[in-house]
Amino acid sequence: MSNTSQFQQIANNLPNLALLFRWFNRGRHLNRIAEPVLWEELERNLDDYTAIFSALGSDLRLDGRGFAWFHQDDGSSNTNKATRQLALLFMVIFDTQADAGIPLMKFEHWRIDQTLLTTVFEQHQDLLEAEELDLSGLVSLMRTAENFGFARYDGGAWQLLPAVCRYLDHYEELASQVDQDEDVSWAGDQDDEDNSL
Amino acid sequence: MSSDYGFQQLVLLNSAGYERAELPLDESVSLIAPNNTGKTSLINALQYLLIIDKRHLDFGAHDKDKARRFYFPSNSSYILLEVTLPESGSVVLGCVGKGVSHDYNYFAYQGPLHIEEYRLDNGKLVTQPQLLEQLAHHGRTASFYSSADFAEMVYGGARRRGQTSSEFTVFRLENRKDANAYRQVLTRTLRLDKLSSGEVKRHLLQIFSRQLPDSVVDFKQEWDKAFAEVNQDREQYRAAHNQQTLIDELERQQDERLATRGRIIARRPLIDDGLQRWQNHYQTQSESLEHQHQNLQKQEADLLQRDRDQTRRQSELNQQLAALKKNEQRCDELENRFTLIHDRSQLEQQLASATEERDRQIALLTNAHGQSAVATDHQLRREEQELSALRKEQETLSDNLYLTLKQHLSEEQLSVLNRGLNRQLLTLSPGDYQLESQQLLQWLQDMPEDWFELPGLNLSVANQAPQYEQRSAEEIAQLIEDCQGRLRQLQEQKAASREMESQKKRKAELEQEVKSLEKDLEQFDELTQLQKSRPDRLKEMEVARQELAEIDQAQTQASAQQQTLRDQIQELINKRQALDTAHQEIDRIRQNRGDSDDQFNWLSDLPHTPWVGDTELPLDQLAQTLRDYQRDCYQLKDLDRDLHHRRITLHSSGLTKFQYAPNPEEEIRLMVEFRHHLAREAEALEKKARSAVVTVTASLRDLRGNLQSFENAMHEFNRLISRRKLSDLKVFRIQPVHESHLVEAIDLLIQTSEKVESGESFELFNQTSVLDDRQLDQARQLLIDEGSARHGLKVADLFRLTFELGKENQAIESFDDIDSAASNGTVLMAKLVTGLAMLHLMQDKTRNVQALCYLDEALALDAANQRSLIKTASEFGFALMFASPSPLITAHYCVPIQQMSNGMNHISRKHWQILQPLEAVKA
Repeated sequence: MSNTSQFQQIANNLPNLALLFRWFNRGRHLNRIAEPVLWEELERNLDDYTAIFSALGSDLRLDGRGFAWFHQDDGSSNTNKATRQLALLFMVIFDTQADAGIPLMKFEHWRIDQTLLTTVFEQHQDLLEAEELDLSGLVSLMRTAENFGFARYDGGAWQLLPAVCRYLDHYEELASQVDQDEDVSWAGDQDDEDNSL
Repeated sequence: MSSDYGFQQLVLLNSAGYERAELPLDESVSLIAPNNTGKTSLINALQYLLIIDKRHLDFGAHDKDKARRFYFPSNSSYILLEVTLPESGSVVLGCVGKGVSHDYNYFAYQGPLHIEEYRLDNGKLVTQPQLLEQLAHHGRTASFYSSADFAEMVYGGARRRGQTSSEFTVFRLENRKDANAYRQVLTRTLRLDKLSSGEVKRHLLQIFSRQLPDSVVDFKQEWDKAFAEVNQDREQYRAAHNQQTLIDELERQQDERLATRGRIIARRPLIDDGLQRWQNHYQTQSESLEHQHQNLQKQEADLLQRDRDQTRRQSELNQQLAALKKNEQRCDELENRFTLIHDRSQLEQQLASATEERDRQIALLTNAHGQSAVATDHQLRREEQELSALRKEQETLSDNLYLTLKQHLSEEQLSVLNRGLNRQLLTLSPGDYQLESQQLLQWLQDMPEDWFELPGLNLSVANQAPQYEQRSAEEIAQLIEDCQGRLRQLQEQKAASREMESQKKRKAELEQEVKSLEKDLEQFDELTQLQKSRPDRLKEMEVARQELAEIDQAQTQASAQQQTLRDQIQELINKRQALDTAHQEIDRIRQNRGDSDDQFNWLSDLPHTPWVGDTELPLDQLAQTLRDYQRDCYQLKDLDRDLHHRRITLHSSGLTKFQYAPNPEEEIRLMVEFRHHLAREAEALEKKARSAVVTVTASLRDLRGNLQSFENAMHEFNRLISRRKLSDLKVFRIQPVHESHLVEAIDLLIQTSEKVESGESFELFNQTSVLDDRQLDQARQLLIDEGSARHGLKVADLFRLTFELGKENQAIESFDDIDSAASNGTVLMAKLVTGLAMLHLMQDKTRNVQALCYLDEALALDAANQRSLIKTASEFGFALMFASPSPLITAHYCVPIQQMSNGMNHISRKHWQILQPLEAVKA
């Protein structure tokens, strides 16, 4: 009795519980700048949310840079495909921007419009075609990113959201691994980081 | 470095499973006991005395009611704390159970803590009801306190019941507001393993809150407030700018209205006065004209009369003259005729002879046959008829009726018949005939017409003259001869008559001649008369002619005079007509004045342009002026209507800022003024917009400034916690990390405002305007969204805390959560140092009262770290109590918990082991 009523009491104080659960359960990220109201509620009741989601079998993670998600150790094959394609998408975008000498950490300010996507596609055509992606595939991939909470469409262009940091962290990690592989003194010292998405 | 003042000992009596527990608090302690033997409950007991507020008591897994039953099972359960204070020396703060309710009561007194004082003579512990008496017995003046009062005392609150504020004040804080935060941190300090990152942030914010003034920025409200006026003004400016033509027209009409009003105001009294005067003028003038008219008409009548008289006279004279002329002519005529006759006697002589001859002739005729020729003719015709009858008789003499009858009838019979047919018969008198009318009638009826039937005799009487007398031929011949003789005689007589006619003619001629001569005589007499009167007549003619000439002249003059009169009359009529026309018009306007509306009565109170026209109104200009005035009145009404409509149009097109002017006139004036100063308005608007940007960012600057202050404070804080090395950490600090999207947005707005303040290329209405900038707008929207999600932005929303740890020879790493940052021991240390530093910051540094902090699972720390922690705690003003299953030799005291046979725990002063460095002992 007490457990149920306690749960009920907590749930009653969380008006957006259902919404947030559906949100995260779809694999979608919640970004502070995109959803300030939801974010504020999540942050304010973080312990309750974490507890409830945990009881429901989901692992809520919240990154201080302003995004939250349900962590999954091993996703379904479908998620994996989407994840892989998104990784490719962000990689080609970041690569293009890096080539253009644009600081990567300010990615939230980029305007990802048709022009930029065209440039991206032209510069990575071989790579993308290997993944059977054409320009329109790239655009639809941006929509996928939007659905997962990595981007939002505003004023005729996409804007990347802080959740993209997860990919960026991953790239940096991979890059440092490469560095460490090359640097003998640091070799083998990299083991317990969580690389899965 | 231990302090002279501070916690001395904690004593539990009959509480928390302890029969008795005495715990030293003046130095670091190593509390030794196996797990789950009540180490934590011992330290938690302090919460009742130090946290006090029930809401903040925290017993971990146990709820507060359970804890209460646990700590206060009876009315002789005690939790006692001895503290040495700079102001009052040793004091005892206590908490005693109240019995079955498991409630408790606070008390305090000055003096050292002696457990024996709580023991009655029979060796039992004193119960709550007897406590004060018992203590008094030992010379302690104790009082009970409500939890609120107790809390006030311990944290140096308001003075009550005449106590000095500092008598029992254990914690003196730099700021009273910190009490709450202090208690919370203290709660955690008693259980530091529970300190979470979130709490660290919250407490740090609370601690630094006095350096960060209450600055919750409702950015949307600030923005709207700052720009409300600018936007409104901009709307008004645009409306006016778009409607310039209309406003110009408005101005023109308003000027016209003011002028018209002025004219009407000036003219109205003139008109009223003029109308008054006009009435008099009209009457006088009318009468005067009427009078003149009558005079002239009379003159004209007189003139006419005179003219008529003269004409009559003229005609008389003409007649007279004609008569005289005729006489003159007659005279001349008669003179001609009687040229040869000089004497009347000549004519008398002729007359006498003619008269004599005529008289002779008359006598001749009187002797002649008196029968006239006509009568003779008549007789002649009768004689001829008789002759014809006689000749016929002569023809039938041998065979006629009479002869026949004579053969057949006797003489007497024939005689009767013949007499019976006498022509005189029908003239018989009544005695001479007898009449059987019936019989006669019958008889006559039986007769055919024109037949006379006698018995045996039928006679045609168709051609018969009645009565016949049979004659003899001789007789007839005789008769014829007689007749012929008479005829001859008659023809002779007729010839004689014819001769008589010419005689008569001769007589007539003679008589004519006599008459002519008599007439001549008469005329001669007349001539004589005329000749005799000639001189008089000529003179008379002369006089008449003269008079006629005079009359002609007079008439000519009269005609001119008449013309003059007519002209004058016409002129008068014209004047009269003009006067009437003017009067009619004036009257018509007066009857239908355009200024009858109410508004004309207070027109002079309305704004108007004074009129500088004539102040006099001559009557001859009245009508024209009145017409002008009337036109002005109607024009004014038209203008009123037009202006009203234009004003409404301007309202609907957005120019509403003057709607609340005291009256429409004022509003129009302001509208016009506004339109004239549009350029200046644009400048003012730009200034306003600039200042709005500055204003709106002022609150953001405050927020940003507070963030900076917080960062500075954190810098200080980090310096505080880095003084001692923690474990193998080279670096340990708590770093505020900006919520970059918010801080960047704020910075962008602040930069813009600085640009604006320095006036650097800021144009309000071009594309680079602050109001149209996309990036700026995004920043604004971001701040508005965040602000509304969080009911206003606070400094706390602008950053998150990360724990930065750096081991030797490794890069510094950041962690959101302190628990995940490092190994257990390191985390424990970090938490402890952080907590102590926070408490230290809150305390009054000038008053050094050593408190207690507690660290469970202390074995996770190595000795070096333990020493380091003890020192650090001491520096912050805390004695450190480690809890572990085995003793830690770094502490000053080692206090084991002993389990009694009755299951109760027991700590006695006797079991305290005091550890001292060898050097110190030697010394």
